This record gives sequence, structure tokens and C-alpha cells, in this order.
Amino acid sequence: MIENTLDNYAYTNSIKDANVSFKVLFAILTVIVCLVSTSPVIPLTITFLMLFLIIFLAKIPFKFYLKFLSIPFIFGFMTFIFMTVFFGISEPWFNIGIFNLAVYKDGLNLGFLVLARIMGCFSCLGFLVLTTPINEIFFLLERFRIPKIIIEIAMMMYRYIFVFLDESGKMYNSQQTRLGYSSLKNTYRSVALLASNLFIKTWSKGEQLYITMESRCYNGSIKTFEVQKSIDIENLFLLLSFEFLLLLGVYLTRGFKVI
Amino acid sequence: MGEEMNVVEAIDVTYHYPDGTKALEKVNFRVDEGKIVALLGPNGAGKSTLFLHFNGILRPSSGEIKINGNSVEYSKKGLMKVRQTVGIVFQNPDDQLFAPTVVEDVAFGPMNIGLSKDEVERRVRESLEKVGMLGFEKKPPHHLSGGEKKRVAIAGILAMKPKIMVLDEPTSGLDPKGASQILKILYELNEEGMTIIISTHDVDMVPLYANQIYIISQGAIIKEGTPQKVFEDIETIRGANLRLPRIAHLMEILQKEDKLPFEKPYPLTIGQARKRVLKHFEDLQ
Ligand SMILES: Nc1ncnc2c1ncn2[C@@H]1O[C@H](COP(=O)(O)OP(=O)(O)OP(=O)(O)O)[C@@H](O)[C@H]1O
Ligand SMILES: [Mg+2]
Repeated sequence: MIENTLDNYAYTNSIKDANVSFKVLFAILTVIVCLVSTSPVIPLTITFLMLFLIIFLAKIPFKFYLKFLSIPFIFGFMTFIFMTVFFGISEPWFNIGIFNLAVYKDGLNLGFLVLARIMGCFSCLGFLVLTTPINEIFFLLERFRIPKIIIEIAMMMYRYIFVFLDESGKMYNSQQTRLGYSSLKNTYRSVALLASNLFIKTWSKGEQLYITMESRCYNGSIKTFEVQKSIDIENLFLLLSFEFLLLLGVYLTRGFKVI
Repeated sequence: MGEEMNVVEAIDVTYHYPDGTKALEKVNFRVDEGKIVALLGPNGAGKSTLFLHFNGILRPSSGEIKINGNSVEYSKKGLMKVRQTVGIVFQNPDDQLFAPTVVEDVAFGPMNIGLSKDEVERRVRESLEKVGMLGFEKKPPHHLSGGEKKRVAIAGILAMKPKIMVLDEPTSGLDPKGASQILKILYELNEEGMTIIISTHDVDMVPLYANQIYIISQGAIIKEGTPQKVFEDIETIRGANLRLPRIAHLMEILQKEDKLPFEKPYPLTIGQARKRVLKHFEDLQ
């Protein structure tokens, strides 16, 4: 299951203990650079840089990361094709010959830029998701003054997603052993049963959870106790100079066109 | 102290669930300080329901709960006090472990009491060490096995340093080694002075650790006393859908079917049985 492996890597990769604020800031700033770039050069550079960091620094298996990247790539590529064919306003570059479709130069340039941006941004997000345990991100959100209630709900949702994945897996297996998916009609019925049962279970789990939390003196707000280290000046300086370099690249390549 | 104190006491407690199910009927239950007490009963007897009364989650429809000799006050402050004194470990650890990592879950209770960060950190370490789960701090609960989850759930309660620990079927679903590990932990806690209340239907284990047994069936306590005394009354035990410990059952069969002279009270543990058998051989010679 892909969600499960993502989660596994977040807890086991070799830079999981690196400063969270640093990782988050790094990912966010780089995403911004990706978005302001008007040429595909810098986003593509970022994509390869992240690939390098994720595979050699965080030691995520290459194959897994490629699979992970294939998802945005497929979407990005479809967008690219679409834009090349439909987004041109100038003269067509050449005609394809079917359905009167033509390839436009500016469409192709724009499409390629979008593809590069998608890949760049997705790599940054991938870096964050694959190297940072989610609870640390919750702590950070708290520091950014996100309302507590939202963080608490997110925390519990995260925990119980896995409980319910497990539950629905069990229910699915038990239905399958009793031939619940043997025909289309049975399948409809089984899926409906599974969904409604899962809903009821959610309800009663919620009640149970509340009881166990009350037993531990819960009074309406979850207090977290881990202290966050801030980024030290040296690293902050390093980070900012890196982003500045990227921005410089953005400036220098601003006029670059694929064709 | 001459007279032993009842740290937990239920007096004539009756409880109806909102849908009308009568789960408890005039239950009287008393636990002396520093003891290990077992509540033995079949499925649906009302064990979990009774336990939820001990820290004020449920309020008796009639009757009274006393902790350390004082009636439970159902005000916010009163409940806070009771829940610091009585810690409950629930039947299903998935209901209890809600935080994204083990440390955060164990720290949840102590943080709620309002302790300082240093103190919380110390308690978390101590409790994880006691249950043998040091090194799992950063793991999320869904990466743990059933037995490990149970131990983390116990640590979460230990970290609140309750005087009395209530465990709802702490050994169900565990392999023999896991079950005896948990019992060993409880035994050590008891040595340090903690009063322990355990619900179970594992009759073979009960005589090994319990000082006192209560038998509950269909919402009523039908028998109480030392293991020896309780298991003497075979009719009541069987009537409540329970059975004798295997060893006692073997002795009963040897007496009744094979006419060997093993009279009541039957030994309940392997140790007791061994003594009895050796004595029998000595008498023969
Ligand atoms: N929320 C509820 N609403 C209505 N009835 C309930 C509720 N919870 C439990 N009961 C009923 O109360 C009775 C006692 O249940 P309880 O859970 O206390 O049993 P138990 O001794 O803990 O059983 P087990 O060994 O299966 O855990 C049962 O008949 C049960 O059906
Ligand atoms: Mg129960």
C-alpha cells in the first residue's frame, strides 16, 4: 500500500532527525522559487537536486521514488500535450495532420514550463513527505499559530486512518471468504455493507476514544510536550544563500525558451 | 495501621445503560490496599461496565463508589482527582493509543495533570523502561504489534503514577510469553505498593497472582474470597459459564473417575499440585 510505505519511509529515512523547521522552510522556499521561475531551467534543476537529496542523503530506494514521481509526471505530461495543441495564439509551428490539429510554439513553451514546475514542486513536497515524520509537522504547525483544534483533529485523523484501513481490510477479507464479491450484484451489496459498517464503527470508536482520553484527565486540549529546536544562524544563512542562488538562476534564465 | 483500608469500594451499585440494559445489579466490591484482585466473569457479565465506575466515567444509577474511603464527587475537580488516583488500562489498546507517536501518547496523561516538561519527560522514560519499551519512543502506534501496543497502553497509565491500576483483560490476545511478561510487570508494580485490579476469564492464570477473587455473572457478584475458597464451589463456577483451572480439573477427574485420594480443596496451580502428588507417593511408601 503506497500510503503505508510513504509513512514508513518518513519514520525510517536517514535524515528523519534533521531539524524540521529547516526541512519545511527549505521545501517551501524552493517551491516558491519554482513558481516564480519563468523558464523551465530552474524547476528542472530543482527536480534533479531533490532527486539527488532524496536518494543519496535520505537513502530512499530509487525505484520507490521513481514510482512516486511517476504520478505527477503522468499528469504533467498530459497537461503538456494538451497545452501544446490547444494553447497557442500565434501561428502554428507545424500541422499534425489528424483532426486539423497543430502544434504551437508558444503552447509548447508554456506546456513545458508547466510540466517542469509540476515536477519541481512535487519533488519539494516529496522531499518533505518522505523525510519528515508527520508528528513533527504537527508541532511546527502549532508554532505557526494554526488553531489548536485543527491540529488536534488532524492528529487523530492521521492515527485513525491506519486503524480504519486495518478494519476495512479485515472486513473486506471476511466478506471475501464468504463469497461477498463473487458477482456484480454481491459486490454492490458488500461494498454498501462495508461502507455503512465502517461508518458505524467510526462512530463507536470515537466514543471509545473519548472515554479513554477522559480517563487520562483530558480537558479539551491536547498539550504537546516536545520542544522544537530553532534553526541556528549558520544553517539559516546557508539555506538563504542557496535559495538566493536559485533566484539568481531564475533571473539569468528568464528569457530561455525550449524552441 | 491495624485495619486494612479499602481503597476501592462499590456499595450496592446498580447501573442501567441508556438503552435500558441492566448491566450491574447491586454490586458490592471491595479492594484492600496493596492487593491484587481479580474480577472473573464470562463475556457480557459486566466487567468493563463496573470498571468504568471506578474512575467516574459512568455514574451508578443507584449505589455509591468510594475511593480511599471518600465518595466520588462528580464535579470537574473531583473527577480529576479520582482519575489521578485510579488509572484504567482499556481492553483494546487501539482505543487508547491516539497520538502519532509512542512518546506523545505516554506523555498525554502527565501533561494533562499539568506537570513540568522535565517531570513529564522523566516519567515517560521511567514508564517505558518499566514495560520494556524503551527505544520505541518515535514509533507510530500502527507500527507496533498487539503485545507492544498493550505495553505502551500500560506505560501511558503508569506515567500518571496512579495509586490504583485497573486493567481490563490485560492478557487477552497475547501469546503465552507476552501474557506472562505483562503479569510480571504487574507483579513488580504490586511489590512497589500499587493496588491492582484485573478483569479476566483466564482461570488458569488467576490463582497465580490474585490475593482475592470476585466472580461476576449477569451483572451480579455471585462469589468472593481467596482463590482456594472461590474454586471450592464448583457448581457456582460452572453455573457462571466458567471452569476450574486445568490442574484442579485433572485432580477432580483423578478423584472421581480413578478413585485416587485427592480430596477437595483441589490444588489450583502446578506448584500446589506437585506438592500434593509428592505427598501422596510418600504416604504410599
Ligand atoms: N454502550 C452500551 N449500551 C448498552 N448496553 C451495553 C453497552 N455496553 C455494554 N452493554 C451491555 O452491558 C452488559 C455488560 O457488558 P460489559 O461490556 O460490561 O461486559 P464484559 O464483562 O466486559 O464482557 P467481555 O468479557 O466480553 O468484555 C452486556 O450485556 C452488554 O451487552
Ligand atoms: Mg469487557
